[in-house]
Amino acid sequence: MNRIQKMAWWMAIWISAGVILAAIAVAVMFWVIGMPWSIARAGLAFLGIAGFGGLASLIFKKDKGKITCDERDRLINNRAAVAGFCAAFLVTGLACMLPFFILGPEATISVTWLPNIFMAAGLATFFVHSVAILVQYGWRGDGNK
Amino acid sequence: METNELKNNIRRLRFEKGEMTQQQLADLAGVTRQTIIAMEQGKYAPSLPLAFRIAKAFGVGIEQVFEFTETTPTKTA
Repeated sequence: MNRIQKMAWWMAIWISAGVILAAIAVAVMFWVIGMPWSIARAGLAFLGIAGFGGLASLIFKKDKGKITCDERDRLINNRAAVAGFCAAFLVTGLACMLPFFILGPEATISVTWLPNIFMAAGLATFFVHSVAILVQYGWRGDGNK
Repeated sequence: METNELKNNIRRLRFEKGEMTQQQLADLAGVTRQTIIAMEQGKYAPSLPLAFRIAKAFGVGIEQVFEFTETTPTKTA
């Protein structure tokens, strides 16, 4: 498993942990405890855990050897980046279209949703980028034999 | 529909060249060992410059390393 794969695993794990914990926290506070949505949404703060994913480049040192990145690595990274941007486009598109179709054209929504959409698109980009890297290399890094 | 397949003889050529290791070939071709492994397993088709570098590393022509096969599968109704 090379450095890029390790970084992708690290990023995917922290983003998953952040999203799962935030979802659990919000669900527990809103449905189990019965808090109002304005307070229960504080559980989204757990998404901050995903920020640990950004430490990957500090934690994983460069691979040993003369060549650490070649044309295949660049191709995989480029494809993963495209997949990540597609995910961001999809998330942003859904976030814009779903309220329109669910609430109707006369409804209004708070502008606080805008930074949330931006954050969701960012998370989707990094998560899909990481997963796309892992898929292309092979989940277990079995290209080492 | 036509399908194109690029086969290679990298593994055979490595052994014919005195049991050259994947790492040695990777260093000669300027790529990582993972890329050599992916090519040997047929999971990655290299660029033309890389194909030439690999052929040069073995000291043979590119057509001795890579084989291009064009197959046209029969249509099933």
